[in-house]
Amino acid sequence: MSGLGPTYPSEKPEHPYLSISLPGRFTGSYISRFCAGCGYGIIGHLFNKVFEDEQLDPKLYPIVIGIGCYSQMLLTLHFASQKILALHGRAPGLATGMKMANPKMKPIIFAGDGDALGIGGNHFIHICRRNLDCVIFVFNNSIYAMTGGQGAPTTLFGANSTTTPYKMFENRIDGVNLALTAGASYVTRTTVAHPRTLMKYFKKALKHKGTSIIEVITPCVTYFGRKNLDNLGSEYLNVKGEKMDNTGIMIDWIKRNSVRINQAKFMTEVELFNKYVIGEFRYAPNKPEYSEEYDKIKKLAMEEK
Amino acid sequence: MSINNKKRFLTEGKYVMMGNIAMAEGALAAGLDFFGGYPITPSTEVIEHLAKRLPEVGGCCMQMEDELASINAVIGASLVGSKSMTATSGPGISLMTETISMAANLEIPFVFADVMRNGPGTGFVTEPHHNDLGLMRFAGNGEFQVIALAPMNCQELFDLTITAFNFAETYRCPVFIISDAYLGHLHESVNIPPKEEIIKRVINRELPQDLNNKFSYKNENNGKYIIPKPPIMGTDYSPVMFLHQPHNPQGFANRRLSLPFTEMLIEKIRSNMDKISLTEEYKLDDAEIIIISYGLPVRTSYRAVDIARKEGVKVGIFRLITVWPFPDEKVKEIVKDAQAIIVPELNYTGVIAEQIERVTPLKTPIIRIPKVSDLHHPDDILKIIMEVAK
Repeated sequence: MSGLGPTYPSEKPEHPYLSISLPGRFTGSYISRFCAGCGYGIIGHLFNKVFEDEQLDPKLYPIVIGIGCYSQMLLTLHFASQKILALHGRAPGLATGMKMANPKMKPIIFAGDGDALGIGGNHFIHICRRNLDCVIFVFNNSIYAMTGGQGAPTTLFGANSTTTPYKMFENRIDGVNLALTAGASYVTRTTVAHPRTLMKYFKKALKHKGTSIIEVITPCVTYFGRKNLDNLGSEYLNVKGEKMDNTGIMIDWIKRNSVRINQAKFMTEVELFNKYVIGEFRYAPNKPEYSEEYDKIKKLAMEEK
Repeated sequence: MSINNKKRFLTEGKYVMMGNIAMAEGALAAGLDFFGGYPITPSTEVIEHLAKRLPEVGGCCMQMEDELASINAVIGASLVGSKSMTATSGPGISLMTETISMAANLEIPFVFADVMRNGPGTGFVTEPHHNDLGLMRFAGNGEFQVIALAPMNCQELFDLTITAFNFAETYRCPVFIISDAYLGHLHESVNIPPKEEIIKRVINRELPQDLNNKFSYKNENNGKYIIPKPPIMGTDYSPVMFLHQPHNPQGFANRRLSLPFTEMLIEKIRSNMDKISLTEEYKLDDAEIIIISYGLPVRTSYRAVDIARKEGVKVGIFRLITVWPFPDEKVKEIVKDAQAIIVPELNYTGVIAEQIERVTPLKTPIIRIPKVSDLHHPDDILKIIMEVAK
């Protein structure tokens, strides 16, 4: 046995962030219900890390989770945080009520691409329009993964899914552009292949007063990867693709398929087709925030008469 | 939260008020802090009035982008400890049922005013039609029990709204107020009681002594259902996660709890029927013919009964104030010896007549007087009474 591989210390060193996740606290190990290669484990861990490092008060940062694979993240998030599972797509509505009834709070919304841009598209637009103080994560894995890989509004053109067995022929929706148009004051997009950037954006969003959108491109190996080739997004190069049936290839594809916002300025429309533009799209810290504006209205109403 | 705010209560005295506004004032008196709504005729006056009044008392009135968002905002506000309500009409309630079912599972208290209008579809928007009663009873997917109160004048719209908030706080279930287009737009005198009297009646949202159990459960020793105070997010009295799945009193979901959980949602209301079920009797002691109704048709029936009594017909009224849950036992007792039952209702099928049929002896005839988009004339009811009395 000796000399065949790297040697490990006989005692497993304790992970510094293990005890802050709910299963880690009770069982001493990481348990999650995600498939092998899923990005949600990474996101959950990064979230916990920021939550712990920034010493966020769990009572002031309630977490509102929509319906999707990431609903299982409920079990792995910070043990002290107060979490509520919302209905499919209605998380922004629920968070609006919480924020307005207790303006000290800053809800953190977890939404998927189907949740925020499909069924809850209207609520997503209007929470951005109001510029309500909250953080919205939009997890974009280009597929309805929990129900078994059906086509999503964000599925790339030409991709395969169980409801588009020949190919996806609808145009995809761009969550970032939608948020920009609707008026969110901090809009970013990143991927799970850029964990430090994700943490940076999240920390900035926590300090920002207004709606912060963080779209995260995340891999779904089981339902998106297995059905698609990694030449998606580089159709113009006419290369033969490889099946993305393992995490390495899928993360590699996400990295290759993401373009920084400064680079994207110099690229043609054909080159940007099916690509993800990542970076900070807008940071407008001085934009009026809804609950603050409502406080002014309250003062006005109380003074009268 | 800010129940002691000066502007929250109108000065004691008599006012002439529109029904919808009386309801809004009743809600304010009961401690309303958050209103989320979407304008829909004939309930618009509620949101218009509260948009002006709620900021004055430190609350928040929001016009959301649609009914789905407004009901979600309402339960979101209720989760963080505000008393909250929404008001809508037929097409609105059918959109909101999804979230009502979620709120029933998590036992989030809120009040839901349904100012009913003609239907199905768009219908005639300014005409009454009690057609949502079945929808209220079975609102949303899943099995659960709701409470629905039916006022019949503007004074009751004020008083019963306070009762509705108290029921919501105590029993932690969706509570409906059954109003309709005519009642909502009716201008009547409303007697506002003194502030101290109202404060005594209102049940406030407070943190309980026992912080362990956040959801209702059955006490295995005596079989009674214990309903704790609603949990408040942002305090220590909140479960780690709110999951709308069958869960235990601490909020953790478990598949094996499905049956006891469903049983709890229904029995916690049914076991308190004596306190929930509000009814009224009118000349019922020696009555042989009984009119059973709720809402506006009761007012017409009073006149018909008075005329019939002068003619020597023994007729009386049994009025349901709490329509859901239907008071089976009470009605069974009333209709036991009746010769005939007359049910004037503002709908064609007779949603309540069907319920009465369940508990009435087979030989007793039940005569429905359907009316849609209009009120009964006392003569309509009198004619039937006289026919039956022959």
